[in-house]
Formats: sequence, structure tokens, C-alpha cells
Amino acid sequence: MLVTWKYRPRNTFIQKLDPRTRLIFMLCVIFGLTIPEIWDFRILLPLFLVSLTLYLMARIEWKDVKRAWMYIFILVFFIVGLNGLLSGRGGPSSVTSLPSPVVMEVLWGIDITVSKMWFALNQMTRMLTMAILAIPIPYTMDPNIYGTAFRRMGASDKVSFTMDLAFRFLPTFARDFSITMDAQRARGYEMEKLSGGIAGRLRRLAPLIIPVVMQSTVTGEEVIDAMDLRAFGTKPRTWLKDLKYAPRDYIILGLGVVIFVGCCVLKWVFGVGGFFVPDFFLNLFV
Amino acid sequence: MIDKPLVIENLTFKYRTRPELALENVSLELKPGELLLIAGSSGCGKTTLARCINGLIPRSYRGERSGRVLLHGREVADMHIPEMAQVVGTLLQDPERQIVASNVFNEVAFGPENLGLPRDEILQRVDMALKRLKLEYLRERETFNLSGGEKQKVALAGVLTMNPSILLLDEPLASLDPASAHEALEVFRSLADEGKTVILVEHRVEDAIGAKPDRLLYMDEGKVKYLGPIDKMPKEIDHTKVKLPAPWVVQRVKSLNIKTEPAPKHVETERGEPLVVFEDVDFQYDSDLPLILNNVNLKIYPGDLIALLGPNGAGKSTLVKHAIGLLKPTKGRVLIEGQDTRKMSVAQIARAVGYVFQSPTHMLYAPTVREELEFGPKNLGYDDQQIPQFIKESLDTVNLGGFDEYPPLALSFGQQKRTTIAAVLAMRSKILVMDEPTAGQDFANYTHFMDTLCDVSENAQSILSANFAATLFITHDLDLAVTYANRVLLFGDKHIVADGKPQDVLKDADMLLKYRVRPTSLLKLNLDLLPKTGRFLPAEALAAYVP
Amino acid sequence: MNESNTWEFGTRQVVYGAIGAALYGVLSWVTNIFPLPAAGNVTFRPAVAVLIFFGAAYGPWVGLLAGFIGNTLGDALSGWGFYWNWSLGNGIMGLVAGLVMSQIKDFRAQGDIIKAVIYGVIGIAVGILFACLTEMFVGGIDLNTALVGYFVPAFLGNAVVTVVLLPILMVAFAAVASRRGR
Ligand SMILES: Nc1ncnc2c1ncn2[C@@H]1O[C@H](COP(=O)(O)OP(=O)(O)OP(=O)(O)O)[C@@H](O)[C@H]1O
Ligand SMILES: Nc1ncnc2c1ncn2[C@@H]1O[C@H](COP(=O)(O)OP(=O)(O)OP(=O)(O)O)[C@@H](O)[C@H]1O
Ligand SMILES: [Mg+2]
Ligand SMILES: [Mg+2]
Repeated sequence: MLVTWKYRPRNTFIQKLDPRTRLIFMLCVIFGLTIPEIWDFRILLPLFLVSLTLYLMARIEWKDVKRAWMYIFILVFFIVGLNGLLSGRGGPSSVTSLPSPVVMEVLWGIDITVSKMWFALNQMTRMLTMAILAIPIPYTMDPNIYGTAFRRMGASDKVSFTMDLAFRFLPTFARDFSITMDAQRARGYEMEKLSGGIAGRLRRLAPLIIPVVMQSTVTGEEVIDAMDLRAFGTKPRTWLKDLKYAPRDYIILGLGVVIFVGCCVLKWVFGVGGFFVPDFFLNLFV
Repeated sequence: MIDKPLVIENLTFKYRTRPELALENVSLELKPGELLLIAGSSGCGKTTLARCINGLIPRSYRGERSGRVLLHGREVADMHIPEMAQVVGTLLQDPERQIVASNVFNEVAFGPENLGLPRDEILQRVDMALKRLKLEYLRERETFNLSGGEKQKVALAGVLTMNPSILLLDEPLASLDPASAHEALEVFRSLADEGKTVILVEHRVEDAIGAKPDRLLYMDEGKVKYLGPIDKMPKEIDHTKVKLPAPWVVQRVKSLNIKTEPAPKHVETERGEPLVVFEDVDFQYDSDLPLILNNVNLKIYPGDLIALLGPNGAGKSTLVKHAIGLLKPTKGRVLIEGQDTRKMSVAQIARAVGYVFQSPTHMLYAPTVREELEFGPKNLGYDDQQIPQFIKESLDTVNLGGFDEYPPLALSFGQQKRTTIAAVLAMRSKILVMDEPTAGQDFANYTHFMDTLCDVSENAQSILSANFAATLFITHDLDLAVTYANRVLLFGDKHIVADGKPQDVLKDADMLLKYRVRPTSLLKLNLDLLPKTGRFLPAEALAAYVP
Repeated sequence: MNESNTWEFGTRQVVYGAIGAALYGVLSWVTNIFPLPAAGNVTFRPAVAVLIFFGAAYGPWVGLLAGFIGNTLGDALSGWGFYWNWSLGNGIMGLVAGLVMSQIKDFRAQGDIIKAVIYGVIGIAVGILFACLTEMFVGGIDLNTALVGYFVPAFLGNAVVTVVLLPILMVAFAAVASRRGR
């Protein structure tokens, strides 16, 4: 099989951004929400909308991201959402400790309260706000630049180059793998016919995995020679590929900082941003 | 005092993990602008010598080293890597593994980047190197999908940017089609003419001659057997160990009057029902990718010994993958013993056709040779009573008898290759298909197994007569076709352009060149002698017919 | 092999870190294409055995890089997204597994293999626990959910894969190493 990256050059604002900007912005939002423990929909909702706009600006085709989103939704709704709805735990204690009208009785004395419902909603919004920033990255960030991005965010020459080298070897090993697959099929091996217990079935994968891995270990020895012979790691490297912040980057970075600092200040200075059930929601049920 | 790029004084080396000496008392001296060819059979120490020259020994490889290696008068062991990297440039055996960047530009710039040179100097060096090798058109390409020949040149460009005074090339021609190999050799020659000292390691002397080396260094078991001008062809070089031009072999055979058994005459098997049939086959890997096969028609009969020739990337492997059902035609059909491959499972087809992949490392996985060989038959559902006997027979035919409990991954490359063939034999397939069976293999080694495999003389105790009804092999080595095939296919322009007896297909030099196959001295000699011989023969056998 | 000390970080570590990452990435991606044995909500990711192997064979740095970069590239290939905490978790897996490197004398020896497997399983536990706890902290889910919903399935699957495949990989590697020593 040929490796096909999800990345496609698109002429969008998002893609023109420096990869560092996007990673830093993502971290700002994540930590802005988590460190001061924001649970206030008046903060969550706007942030969600900001992320959503950025996501939409990336103009990713739905068919590409479908599978990823399914995965996220299942996680968010069934594991996280449902759990929040039933247990109400994980967030602030006030969700369960404060009295709240019961909407309906579920089995085993577990009952769904209004605050639990509101909590679940907030919790899902919160997770989606973060996921929605994470998902577009493969589609809109050229893997070619990962290594440089790492380096300019402070990783050492060697670590950063590891990234580039890995990127270089990926298609090679994908091809080796498919050749091995053909070679074994030519000896009557059939992937579809994996039979036996779990251990047995896993063991039947050896003919596919062993040759590829072992060949790669041999390749490594030669690559080491090749790199030593071209003086790798003897001096600080010059990187021809490089990154420069443009004005648009400062805008987004600024936004990120505002979000992070804003959340902290609101929560710790003004005490705003904790969990509470707004009246309109309460009134829906009583 | 005149500058001596390289001086080696009785150099001896032993790898820590090996009892025997890898190099013994090697001495030599090289002048600027000299091109030295180092030849010798596999394991004779060529690469080890190279490692001593580029300083990997003693730096990366541990062992006992004595003697001296001087680069421009300075001992290698005392130089720092950056210095050395700018004196000796090394091109390793396999460019695929030498290339460390995912696009050509970064690959070529890699060395200077490591030296921490200023940007604009790097850019300038890169452009020079690309220009020098006429590679500007590749500047922005990805290294992954370059052709073999292009990879080779890009790797070389990456070395030249360090502008070294000595170039070290370790078997740079492996798996290039003859035309690409020839182009590479011309580049090496011109670099020498520009005053660089070039050391070319290659056991296919025949091809290496193309670079017009000034001197030849012939090694055997770590010792220097001959060092001198190439034209004075020394008797010391054993033509069964390295591939020499046919006239040399004839000359040697005559002068040492080695007696060669008269060439066995072919037994012409009458053509029965075809085993494999291609009917107007079209194929493309994907609807938006170009056609690779276009209207291919081919019948393979019992007794056929087919050599499939053609340029890199023409579609040879794609073609044969249809014969084992790994690929199904997008139009037309492929029949195996009368059955359409579309209606057959891989396992069914494998009972009829055995496929040996180019590199053994792509399929060997089992902890012991026995289990490796059991894999196929078990998948095909042979009953466990027969299997041990299948295995024994096939191991004997590739003479690996006694290796049953040995781990295949620990075997030498040649042995691994034979293991893979045994693995196919054990499946009792009727037809043997091999993709470049000799690539990356040592001459003596592959002549041996090709002999056992493809000998169709009446008194043959060979695998072919024992098991296979027909054999087909893809190769870039024309002499293989000349020596072993009784039918030659030339593939190009998406279909088979020529099909027939070797002497009929190969006599048209212009057509061969059109499809990047270069006539060899063996072919020329055979064509000259054809009236006398009546068919193509190996060089040794030809001696008898040369006056 | 060569007796490099555990925490050495040179060209060798860079190269095998990269190779490990590329393999881990490709194999994880491939298992997203081909269906594999699954029990309940536990899906198996044979690639993990390869990651643990690279740790055991080439040390903690290689394990860390292979895990972190490999997971990142794998997610990128499959189009999941970029989840720094899971990538880091994978890195920790490889790192912990790599701590056994200096203790392994013979990749064929049963004792050494068992050691490697134990370190591997511990590594998996620690790595995934890290990822799950960050999930809990970030996603605001309770410990219970983190453990039942994330940790247990992921841990079980990977542990089984490692116990089954790591020994096979090590034995094969012993054979390869015997051929080309440094
Ligand atoms: N890294 C190594 N460790 C231990 N022994 C080695 C190593 N590399 C080579 N040898 C041994 O040293 C001897 C010479 O090997 P070398 O690779 O120099 O031969 P060669 O002429 O290059 O062979 P080929 O033509 O197959 O490349 C062989 O016996 C080989 O097994
Ligand atoms: N899996 C694949 N997907 C898409 N294209 C492919 C695939 N495999 C090969 N090709 C393309 O098909 C063409 C023929 O490839 P093939 O390997 O058959 O050539 P070949 O004659 O065997 O070359 P060589 O002599 O170098 O082995 C090449 O252009 C190659 O890029
Ligand atoms: Mg060699
Ligand atoms: Mg091919």
C-alpha cells in the first residue's frame, strides 16, 4: 500500500499559520479550560464557537474526517456524556452535593438530576471544544514541517531530526510491509483466515511483522553509517527549512494568551467560571 | 613533496565478533585523479577496506586494527569526523538506505547542514552539485518515488556537496538496469578526470570496466592478490569468483588450459498444453493511474526457461504478479492450467505457481529453517505426513541439507536466498517464478544456484527436471539470459515487444538498447561464434570454439 | 550488539528512534485498515509489541521517541488528530520498556525475555495510566470512567499483544544480530 497523508495544501488562513502558533493556541485553550477548572457555559460556549470557526475556516471535506468524528462522538456521548449524566462525578462536587430536582429515576436508585444533565452538556461541549482543535491538524499541517516545528519550540537538533527521519522512512516501511504481505500470500498465507484463540491468532501475524521489523533493524546499521559519514551530530546544525512568525500568527497567539489568562483571572480573581445551573435550564423542568 | 590523497601501509583488521582476519597486510597508494577498481568475491573484505578508509573503522566498528591509513598524510584514526567527511565521500551499497531526507533538496543539503555552514553557502553548494550531475529537474521531487538510477545520483550529489577529494563507491551498480549503470559509471569516470581520487568497489568487473579504471585491486580472503594496470589481465583472478569479460575468460581458460566439459546439448521438450496463459491483459494500479500493462499476450509452456528483460519501472514485476494472482487484470484474463485467476484463491494458485521474491528478507520469519519451509505446505493444506519429506527433498536440492534447525535469519545472504527457493519447492509448485534472483548476490554464489536450477541437459539432476515444469526469471543481467534461458521475453512500452529463442531476440542490438539493455561481451562473442556453436553457451564453454 | 550505556543519545539512538517511530506509525495505521482479533471492547494493536521491542533492544530514548513520534504519525495517517497526552503516554511506554536494555545479555535466553516482557507490561501500564489520568483531568471525567472506559481495555489489549509477540520478535532479533555485529 502507498502511504497517503491526509494533508493537502489548501489556500486557507489556517494553513498559512505557523504550526507552532496552532499548537500553542491549542494548549492555551486546553489549559485555560482545565487548570482553572472552567465549567461555566457563559465561557465554554464562546470558546466552543471560536474553535468551531477555526475548524470551519480549515475547510476540510466531511468525507475525510467522518471516521475520526464518529470515534470522537462515541467517546464523548457514550463514555463521557452518559457517565456524567448518570454519575455526575468528575467535575466539581457541587454537581452532586447541592440539592437539585430529580428529572427521572433510573434503576438502582440512580436518578438523573437537572444539574447532572446540565453538567453532562457542559462536559461534552468542553471536550468537543478541545477535540475540534486537535482533529484538523493532520489535514492542514504538512508533516514535512513537524521536525522543524519541534526544533523551533525548543527540541534539540537530534530529537527534531528524528522526526524528519521517521517521516522519511514511513513510506519505505509501508511498501516493505505490502511486499512482505504479497510474499506470504504467495505461500498461501491468508489474512482473512486467522483462526484459533486470541493468542494463536496474534501469533499468526508473525509472518507479516517479523520480516519487516528485522529488515528495518538491518537497514538502521547502514543509515547510521551514512549519517556518521556526513558528519551528523558533530556540530550545531544549520536548518535550511525554517519557520517565521507572520502578523497573523501574533494575532492568534495573542488570542490564545487572552483566553488562557482570561480564564485564570475570571476564575481566581473574580470567582466566575465555576459550575452552576442557569435558571432558564432549571425552568425547563420545574 | 607531492600530495598523496591516500596511503595504506600493511593494514590488518579483525572484527571483534569474528575469529578470522577480515583484512591482512593491505598496502596501496593512490594519486589524485586516479580511479581504482577493487574486485573480489563476497566476504573477501572489500567493504571492510572501505570502512578503514572512511574511518568507520576504528570509530564505529570495534576490532583489532594495525598498520596505517593516511589521508593526505594524516592518520585517519586521529581525524575528527567533520574533517574526514570533507576528505572522503562514501557512497554505500544501497542508495535506498543512504538517503535520509524525504525530498531531494534536503537530501543533498544534509551534509553541509551538519557542518553548520551558513545558509547561502549551503544553497550554492547544493546547486553546484545538482548542476554537476544534471539533476536540477529533480530538485523539488520526493526521494521516495525516484527511480533506482535517480536515487543513486541523488545520493552521490549529497556526497559531492561535502566536496571530498576522495570518492569511495561500494558496489554502486546493484539493481540498476544496464543503461543506468553505464550512465553512473561515466559520471564516476568524469569525476576522476576532474582530479578526484575514485575508489570503485564492484565484483562485476565486466561492467566496472566501463569506467576505464587506471588500476585493478583484486582481493581474496582479505589479502591483496593483484594490484596493477587493468589491461595486463592477470591469471590470478579466478573467473569463477568474479564476473570477467568473456574474452578474458576464454583467454584464461586457454592459457591455463583448464579443461571444460563439452557443453551438454539441450533436450528440446515438445510443447504440451500451456501452463499459464495471458489473454489481452490490461492492468492499472488505480483508475486514475496510468496503464502499466496494455494488451499483453503470453503463453508459458512446460520446459520453458524464460528470461524476462526490460527497463526499470517498465512493469515486469507487475506482469509476473498476475501469474500468481497477487494482481488481477483490469481487462482480459489470466489462465492457470485452464482456470481463470479471478476464480481461484491465492492458495490454489500457489499450488501451481511458486514465486520467489527479490529479497529473502521480505519473507523469512520462522525461528528455524524447517518451520520456514513448513509454512507454505501447511497453508496449502498438505497433510502432515508428507510435509517432512517435501522439506527434506527441497533442502537437498538447494544443498542446505542439515540446516533444518538453523535460524534462517542468521544465514548468509546467499543461503537465505536458497532457503526462499527451497520454501517454494516445498510447496510442490509446478512453475517457478523468480524476481531478480541474482540481485545483490555474489557471482560465484549465483552461478552455482542458477546452474542447479536451470540445467536442462539430458543427464540433469536439477530442480527443474525434478519438480518444476517451467521457470521464469526477471533479470537486469543480460548474461543470465544468454547463459540459462531457452526463451527470452523483452518487455517495454507496456507490453511484450519480443519473444523467442535467445539467439533470435538478442541479436537485434538496436532494439535491446531501445529498452535499456546493453549487449555484453559474452553476447557479442556468442553471436560471433553462433555459426559454430549453434546456440548460446557460457564463456568457459566458448573457449573450445575460439581458434 | 554494542555495549552502549542506557542513557547514551547519539546517531544510533536517533536512527533507531526514527525507524521505530516509522514502524509503529505504519503498523498502527495498517491495523486501522485491516480488521484484527477483538474481544469485547478490547481491540488489539500488534504495533505495540514492536514499540516495546525497540525499547528493549535500543534503550529508553529510542523507546520514548519511537512511542511519541510513532503515535503522532500514526494518528496523523489515520486522520484521528493530534492528542499530545496519548502520544506522550506512548512515549512513556517505550521509555519504561527501554530501561531493561542494559540487563539483556542474550535475546534468546528465557530469563532475559521474561524480564523484557515484564518491563514492557509495566511500561504499558504506566504509559496508558498517564494518558488516562490526563484524560480525566482534561476531559473532566471521574476516575471510575477513566479506568473502566479507557485504561482497562487499552491496557489488556496491549499487554496481551506484548506477551504473545515480544518473545517472537526477540528470538528473531537474536538471529539477525548474530549475523551483523558491530
Ligand atoms: N559488522 C561486521 N561484524 C563482524 N564481521 C563482519 C562485519 N562486516 C563484515 N564482516 C565479516 O568480514 C568479512 C569481510 O566482509 P566484507 O563485508 O568486507 O566483504 P565484502 O567483500 O564487502 O562482501 P560483499 O561483496 O558481499 O559486500 C566477512 O567474513 C564478513 O562476514
Ligand atoms: N503498488 C503500486 N501502486 C502504484 N503504482 C505502482 C505500484 N507498484 C508499482 N507501481 C508502478 O508501476 C510501474 C511498474 O513497476 P514494476 O515494479 O512492475 O516495474 P519493474 O519492471 O519491476 O521495475 P524494476 O526493474 O525496477 O523492478 C512503476 O512505474 C511503478 O512506479
Ligand atoms: Mg560489501
Ligand atoms: Mg521489479
